Amino acid sequence: MTGLLLSGFDLVTSLLATTAGAGAVTPANFWMPEGASIQAPRVDFAFDLINWINYVFFALIVIVMVWFCIRYRQRGKNVEFAPGPIHNTTLEVTWTVIPTLILIGIFFMGFTGYLDLYTPPKNSYDIKVTAQQWSWEFEYPNGAKSTDELVVPAGRPVRLVMRSKDVLHSLFIPDFRVKQDLVPGRYTYLWFESNAINDPDDPSDFRWLFCTEYCGKSHWNMNVQVKVFDDEAFETWTKDQARWLDMIDDQDLYFMAGPKLYARCVTCHSLDGSDGSGPSWGPRGGLGDLWARVTNGTGKVDGGRKSDGGKTLADYIGNGKLYGTAEDYIRNSIYDPGALLVSGFGNQMPTFEGQLNDRAIDALIGMMQHLDEFNADGTFKDQERVNAALARIEANKAAASQASMGVTEPAETETSD
Amino acid sequence: MTTIDTPRAGDIAGNPPVGGTGPVDNYLTWTKGALSWIFTLDHKRIGVMYLTGVLVSFLVGGLFALIVRTELIAPGKTFIEPETYNMFFTLHGAVMVFLVIIPSIPASLGNFVLPVMLGAKDVAFPRLNLFSFHLWMIGALFTVLALLLGGFDTGWTFYTPYSTKTDMGGVVPVLFGVFILGFSSIFTGLNFIVTVHKMRPPGMTWFRMPLFLWAIYATALIQILATPVLAITLMLVGLERAFQIGIFDAAMGGDPVLFQHFFWFYSHPAVYIMILPAMGIISDLIAVHSHRHIFGYSFIAYSSVAIAIFSFLVWGHHMFTSGQSALLNTIFSAITFSVAVPSAIKVFNWLATLYKGSIALNTPMLYALGFIFLFTIGGLTGIYLGTLNVDVHLHDTYFVVAHFHYVMMGSALIGFIGGLHHWWPKMFGRMYNETAGRIGFVLVFIGFNVTFFTQFMLGSQGMPRRYYDYKPEFEIYHLISTIGSYIMAAGFFLTAIYLLHSLFRGARAPANPWGGRSLEWQCTSPPPHDNFKVTPSVGDCYDFSVVRWSEEEHGYVIDRSKETDSSSGEGSGH
Amino acid sequence: MTAIDANTNKNPDQGDHHHGDHESENPFQAHHFDTPQQQYESAKLGMWLFLGTEILFFGALFALYTILRANDPEVFSYASQYLNTMLGGLNTAVLILSSLTMAAAVHFAQRSKKTMMLICLWLTLLGAIGFLVIKYFEYEHKIHVNLTWGPGFYMPVDPAEATLVGDDGTVLSVVQEDALAVSEEAGKLAAAAEESLPDVLQPQLAPAPAADASSIQLAAIGPGGLSAVDPEAKIAADKAAAAHIEHSDKPHLEDEKLPVNTHRFFAIYYAMTGLHGIHVVVGIVMIIWLIVRGMKGHFDRRHYAPVDLGGLYWHIVDLVWIFLFPLFYLIH
Repeated sequence: MTGLLLSGFDLVTSLLATTAGAGAVTPANFWMPEGASIQAPRVDFAFDLINWINYVFFALIVIVMVWFCIRYRQRGKNVEFAPGPIHNTTLEVTWTVIPTLILIGIFFMGFTGYLDLYTPPKNSYDIKVTAQQWSWEFEYPNGAKSTDELVVPAGRPVRLVMRSKDVLHSLFIPDFRVKQDLVPGRYTYLWFESNAINDPDDPSDFRWLFCTEYCGKSHWNMNVQVKVFDDEAFETWTKDQARWLDMIDDQDLYFMAGPKLYARCVTCHSLDGSDGSGPSWGPRGGLGDLWARVTNGTGKVDGGRKSDGGKTLADYIGNGKLYGTAEDYIRNSIYDPGALLVSGFGNQMPTFEGQLNDRAIDALIGMMQHLDEFNADGTFKDQERVNAALARIEANKAAASQASMGVTEPAETETSD
Repeated sequence: MTTIDTPRAGDIAGNPPVGGTGPVDNYLTWTKGALSWIFTLDHKRIGVMYLTGVLVSFLVGGLFALIVRTELIAPGKTFIEPETYNMFFTLHGAVMVFLVIIPSIPASLGNFVLPVMLGAKDVAFPRLNLFSFHLWMIGALFTVLALLLGGFDTGWTFYTPYSTKTDMGGVVPVLFGVFILGFSSIFTGLNFIVTVHKMRPPGMTWFRMPLFLWAIYATALIQILATPVLAITLMLVGLERAFQIGIFDAAMGGDPVLFQHFFWFYSHPAVYIMILPAMGIISDLIAVHSHRHIFGYSFIAYSSVAIAIFSFLVWGHHMFTSGQSALLNTIFSAITFSVAVPSAIKVFNWLATLYKGSIALNTPMLYALGFIFLFTIGGLTGIYLGTLNVDVHLHDTYFVVAHFHYVMMGSALIGFIGGLHHWWPKMFGRMYNETAGRIGFVLVFIGFNVTFFTQFMLGSQGMPRRYYDYKPEFEIYHLISTIGSYIMAAGFFLTAIYLLHSLFRGARAPANPWGGRSLEWQCTSPPPHDNFKVTPSVGDCYDFSVVRWSEEEHGYVIDRSKETDSSSGEGSGH
Repeated sequence: MTAIDANTNKNPDQGDHHHGDHESENPFQAHHFDTPQQQYESAKLGMWLFLGTEILFFGALFALYTILRANDPEVFSYASQYLNTMLGGLNTAVLILSSLTMAAAVHFAQRSKKTMMLICLWLTLLGAIGFLVIKYFEYEHKIHVNLTWGPGFYMPVDPAEATLVGDDGTVLSVVQEDALAVSEEAGKLAAAAEESLPDVLQPQLAPAPAADASSIQLAAIGPGGLSAVDPEAKIAADKAAAAHIEHSDKPHLEDEKLPVNTHRFFAIYYAMTGLHGIHVVVGIVMIIWLIVRGMKGHFDRRHYAPVDLGGLYWHIVDLVWIFLFPLFYLIH
């Protein structure tokens, strides 16, 4: 009953929101989460309207049913069973026609609403989305890439041009009321426009983006944050994002860039020694952590496209062998994971060729070398050094913007060469 | 034509009232030994074996569900790993759909009831019937084998390309198992269609058939029309996995969305394979327990067939966000709404049947009323999902999970359990404890709603389905839902206990405990080996004015003296 | 009772046996049927329904065929040339003849002519087996030259074994010096490519190009698509094009006209003809069973339903092939 009353209120508010036009965030209610896109009010209106029609029909059916059960209950075993009416044309036509008309109305409401959802406006801002098990990658027109959050500009239509690298995924932002599958072998579109601006300085101010098409082991974890920035903040963000790796000083790279990059590895590779879909980077099998296993050559390998039957990494790493150095092995394992497999693991890892450049690889190798300085969740232990590094990044940014005043050339940092 | 008074004289005499020594000649005691069951050609025994298999599978699938719900009781890991969780929700779906709901009503209750209700000695092809059951067993064994070979985590829908890529070893065995189960289902359907067409006794015209038979007939049509497509689809997935033939796998130039079209072309009609027989059961339960002629007989009969036909045209509504064209989405949405109308009218017809009835709130009737309640919710929530723009938000969330549980479990399975309670005395000749039955129903009903109604809220708030873990704001709903599932489990546990108890300690059932009018209530409980000594003749199976309570029989009897000329009729269609 | 009458006309003698008491002397009547007529009609309806499911079974594949062909019409018109129309046509003739003998067997069974019925069944059996033998030769040639499904289609062909069947049905030997030289050359180039290319660019060769999740190329996989990943195929194709080999002699991989996704033609070809072949095998078992029962004298004019229904099944198997033949062999 509370739900019923609340929904009545919702109907009014969503009607108001529709008439008031875009801009406001519709508050969360008993059924729906906050509506933060310009499409949301229309979806909510359809939902609430159907809600009300359903409440009426459901109440009608249940009340009639209960009433009849009480009124016409059998009194005693030995009673005459009277034949009742078995047919009534007027009644039957009525209860056929009324639901039909209502359903036709609902269909058209859904259909026109869907066309709005489906058709992106012209001049939309395009962001390329690539999904793979189990991460998202968002690429902006200036070449900036983001994997841990989707940041979009406020007040203009954003079109996501989406593809999947492996299996089906589906991009769902509940607060925007939009969803679209990502199909390998095809491109799909999704568009929305939001005016619900998030505060760039408040990490808790964001909306969720979920994967809603089951895609395997870590499907449940394939979700990232969505943030809507105003034009200024958005421009700053994309610029920084495009060259974030370059802004970090070399000595800070492994703990400033490392954890950020590691966020894509964490679904399979833990730091604490427990194996997931892939071997842990931490100590496993009594052989030490990943870097130790590689440099000592004790890591066990078994199979892979380039395997020649060797059993440990010592058989593959060294002068004249498959990989000249430990770093070579790591780099190639990220670019071509199927070449040589760690014992007990199949080839599940996608290649990161073209996604991680040498600087990113350096950062990851650095992280592997200093694993003891990280917490199990991949964060760096020494906050003071982080703060100092942040200050240096700010200085670098300032210097860079000084150097290129007014020039918005895309900085291609993440492409491999 | 005269009334041929079916088995009454001989058989009811062999079935003395409570306290008697029990009937000598019934199908349960006809022959003895395990082999006489495994290789029986008697449709009733085959029905009972199906029933056992289905109930065991239901227990297993239910335990999987409890594992899934328990894991979700709180955020973070509760007691199993994500891989295990994925495997359990997949197993839960696959077992419940392919081993429980699809065979539940047609294969178990249908097999038992259909020939008796029809007035036939057996189904048309008893050997084929037995073969279907053996196929079912083999299919079930392959599912077990799939578990032993590493399990499978594809979801019961086997969506490509994940199902062709996942490295779990159980995928091919389970595909093969479902392929075999498909043939079991096809042969059962084929058998029923021929039986209904060719085995009706004189007087049993098409429009004298109880509505359950119409529903089974419509279901059988879907079974033989849709299942071959599923079989081919699963075969192609297996080939894709084994040989990379490049039909569905984008890596080889194939199209994963094509798989969804093929899969739902079967699996949407399969939803009606599940729900139509339940609707048939409810039509009969409502009429019998309110002792009132069913309202709008021909509409209900035709609507079953209409729903069966429409069901082939709506598969695309599972794919509104899959990337299929907007035009297709619109067409599928429109046709989807057209299916809603006959379903709605059925509900109104059931309500009208209650009007001026003489309603006995026996356990089967409680399940029937529960069905109307739950099916109404299931059907009405389908409207949100058929509405294009709302579905975009709700697709693949818990809203969908809740919706199809209301339809597949709240309706199809509740209908099955209602039917089981209805025909239990007929099947085993024993009455269960009525009070326990009512308590069991209340537990199941409350537990069900607590479990699944909260999932509507979860879904509309944005919780995606098939998630191992969730955001804190969803916690309260998941907690309530899990508690509900425990209540429901308690209800089913109680039901299992009193049903098993009744087998050994239950009072002897009269031939007609509820006041039914169709033919199965005119032979003894349990029925004799050949159902009818003489091919029976048939009256109006919804004319309850001739039904009388008899203290002597401890049940209802049909007062032939009051019977008007209701049993006239040509053997047309024969 | 019009249905019964209609059937009685077909078999005038039968009328005598089912009036009056339904206790028939027919030993093959099951207890749960009232009359042999009812049993016969039930069996016939059941068989028709079963054949309906068979049609749908193949119908799903025909739908798939339609979709694939609508998507890539050039693949179908191109790849069809690799099928041997003569052998296919021969098989069509064999099946139609066997259908004829089957119909004759039913005819003789209805008239209690046991010997003639058995002769016709034997002839049908011969046709069925002949069909499979011819089909075996067709498959064998194709598998030798890797005209198969999936990754196997893109495996380099061993020229020593390669024989190709030309458009006109003649078997052409490809063991020609030119071809060998080209092939060896291609092999060397490939080996060189393997050594010189950096690891990350190494082709992800068969047997499992699709195993690596990341290897999906969006446009398509085929020689065109693969060439982006697979330098050998490209090199080999270029080299082959330069070597002036006659079109029909060329292994498909060396044909620069090979459309993208041609392997899918062969996937559906093997799926459909293979499924049909399985049905022929089932048909053979069934015909043998009919022959055994026929020799025991189980069939006469009162009881010929098994022959009749077996005949129906065999006609459907035949009918499916009559669709398959033009759809695969006669489209280029």
